[in-house]
Amino acid sequence: MTRVTQQTARIVFFLSAAVSAMAAALVFGFLLVFGFPLIGGGEFFSLLARPWSPGQGLYGFLPMITGTAAISFLSIVFALPLSLGTVCFMGGLGPARISRLVDGFVRFMTGIPTVIYGFLGIFLLVPVVRTLFTSAGSGMCILSASLMLSLLVSPTMIIFFKDGFDSVDVRYIQAADALGADSVQRLIYVILPEAWPGIVTGIIMGLGRAMGDTLIALMIAGNAVHVPGSILDSARTLTSHIALVSASDYDSLAFKSIFACGLTLYVLNAFAVIAVRRLGRKRGPVR
Amino acid sequence: MNIRILGGCLRVFSWGAVLVLTGSVLMLLGYLLVKGVPSLGRDLIFGQVDVLDAVLLKKRVFDGLFPAIAGTLSVVVLSVGLAIPVGVCAGIYMSEFATVFQQRVFGLMFDILAGIPSIVIGLFGFSGAIFIHKYISKDFRPCLAVSVVALAFLVLPYITRTTQAALQGLGDQTRQAALALGATRVQNIFYVLLPRSVSGILSGIILAIGRCAEDTAVIMLTGVVATAGIPGSLLGSYEALPFYIYYISSQYTDAAELMSGYGAAIILLGVCAVLFFLAFLIKRHVAGPAGPARGRFHG
Amino acid sequence: MDNPVKIRVENLTFSYHQTPVFEHINLDFNAHAITAITGPSGRGKSTFLSLLNRLWESQPFAKMEGKVWILLDGQWVDIYGKTLSKPDLRRKVGMVFQTPNPLPMSIYKNMAFPLKLTGMTEKALVDAKITAALRQAFLWDEVKDRLHDSAFGLSGGQQQRLCIARALVSQPEILLLDEPTSSLDAGAASVIEDLLVRLKERCTLIVVSHYLDQVSRIADTALKLEARGFLPV
Repeated sequence: MTRVTQQTARIVFFLSAAVSAMAAALVFGFLLVFGFPLIGGGEFFSLLARPWSPGQGLYGFLPMITGTAAISFLSIVFALPLSLGTVCFMGGLGPARISRLVDGFVRFMTGIPTVIYGFLGIFLLVPVVRTLFTSAGSGMCILSASLMLSLLVSPTMIIFFKDGFDSVDVRYIQAADALGADSVQRLIYVILPEAWPGIVTGIIMGLGRAMGDTLIALMIAGNAVHVPGSILDSARTLTSHIALVSASDYDSLAFKSIFACGLTLYVLNAFAVIAVRRLGRKRGPVR
Repeated sequence: MNIRILGGCLRVFSWGAVLVLTGSVLMLLGYLLVKGVPSLGRDLIFGQVDVLDAVLLKKRVFDGLFPAIAGTLSVVVLSVGLAIPVGVCAGIYMSEFATVFQQRVFGLMFDILAGIPSIVIGLFGFSGAIFIHKYISKDFRPCLAVSVVALAFLVLPYITRTTQAALQGLGDQTRQAALALGATRVQNIFYVLLPRSVSGILSGIILAIGRCAEDTAVIMLTGVVATAGIPGSLLGSYEALPFYIYYISSQYTDAAELMSGYGAAIILLGVCAVLFFLAFLIKRHVAGPAGPARGRFHG
Repeated sequence: MDNPVKIRVENLTFSYHQTPVFEHINLDFNAHAITAITGPSGRGKSTFLSLLNRLWESQPFAKMEGKVWILLDGQWVDIYGKTLSKPDLRRKVGMVFQTPNPLPMSIYKNMAFPLKLTGMTEKALVDAKITAALRQAFLWDEVKDRLHDSAFGLSGGQQQRLCIARALVSQPEILLLDEPTSSLDAGAASVIEDLLVRLKERCTLIVVSHYLDQVSRIADTALKLEARGFLPV
């Protein structure tokens, strides 16, 4: 191979990497440009706190912010104990053979399409919620969406938790075993104290996954535009708002507001990524 | 608290968590299968049209999933096809050429891109379409091409990351063997490193295919519609399985339509399951039949 | 030496991935003596130790047949039987590894760890046991003023003595040591050798070592591990 092909190949590799990296910036740029009519007027932050009432020319997305916060927070509340319990099971409390099966099943769960969760939510979960809680109205509410969402985010959390467990120095585990620790003691005294960065990472990633999902909330949270008062209220998330409003008139101010929603989601995600990377650097045995 | 009682509680709790988690997912999937399997069949996909006529595009299928399956297939093939060359090349650069500083900056950008909610990627594609509509061509609307580009953005970081990881996972011995024989760095990459990491890269690509096939949020903003027939051009709208499922769930008019929604969900789930097991098999192949050596007591 | 037998290995066969590592081994280990196991690396010396405290069981694809008996309070106990739980066994049969493996906590907490596992909480008793074990391991004078510092602040030799002391806290009757000085310099190693000889009055020791001079200095009996079996040296 000649020097020229060497150089060409290298340049192609570099350009690909640069283009891929720029993609993240490009997405941000487009959101910024299109959201500018709202942001430029210095209205961005006041919008965050305002209600949504297009009839009166109000395009605040406080309802969507609270909707997203309520649904994703509640889904983590459901998913966290499930995920912690499952990862403890795989970390020595359950029989090794079953643990391997559970591990495979959890990885399979990451591949289940979210639209299927939404679809089954409508026809299986929502009727149950409607029957159990009379005040839930149609059954399309924060509770239904978070329950379904917790199944979506659990595998993400479990995989990151398990990463944290596996990164515990094997010598610590050996020491504990040789000193007569049983599987519970090994877990509580040695693994959990060492695996916390993995656990925090898992929670952040789970929260990110919950906030970023569109279909489940769109299909079974009801999409009402008001600040929810209880978990049995219908609510609209930032993601469903984008999906719903994008169908309207391109030049309306309501339409512009979805870019502000997009920006908010983008920025939250970027913060989560940076936090997780910081945690990742802290990992490994303290020496 | 007494460690014995605490331990007992923890054991019960972990069993409970596993049972609730796997139980509820199995129940959901079981319900889907029980309700949907009766709808599976030739008619679900091709309606009243003859199979051969439909596949050869002689007759248009109105009451079957064929156009949606064709749409999903084209959007997946095109977007993964677009993302593979760029993603693999970027992964090679990250693993073999990037400086520590570049690895850090590019790595951060890839992580951000990988984490962007898919609806926001969809919004990006959508705004790109508006941009072209406003400034370049008034005829331009959200269409197959826009979806393809946006989905390629969505899966690009997966492919880059798995390529990078597969290459970095190769040992120094593999890495230096050809170099010692006088190979250039680029020759080493193409003749030794890439062939050795092909299974790792492949399993990343398969996961990317699954991600493209199941995504609904991106395509619903970038050109998918409920009825468009077989995708005819990159600039036209198209149908897709996941969008069909979403659409039917709120717009179904009779029991038969709802049944086809269940059928579509089973097909989509089946596709994702097959892709998952394919990736799993390839990964296991990489690790060797007995799994990675984990000898603790071989002194 | 005419000590009574403490450990009896009967017809023991061990295989890993269906490949036999040992076959039909019969061995006795004398009480209050140091038995050294030598031999080329890769033959399974460490694996053999792990059979005596059942630590190999966390390994997938490993299989063992045969019996291991130890003499506890005048009774022969099958360590793979039901009478002795695995944690109890490991308190009776302590183990020290090739590289020191203190847990990521203070010296004091490392020492208290085995006691915490048994649910012992009475501070005065815990302190007394810790002090006694640290004295037995020749470590007390070096660490008594820094008990609450991280164990990683100690030198390699001190860390290894800490690990020996930590095993001694549970008052084991048998101590398994897997090349305990191989990661240490000569000075630190000789302190540990002296310590092991002194520990004979409390425990039965089995030491894996590939330094023949070390074996001749400290061992009462030496065994050489050859392909699938043991030979006396």
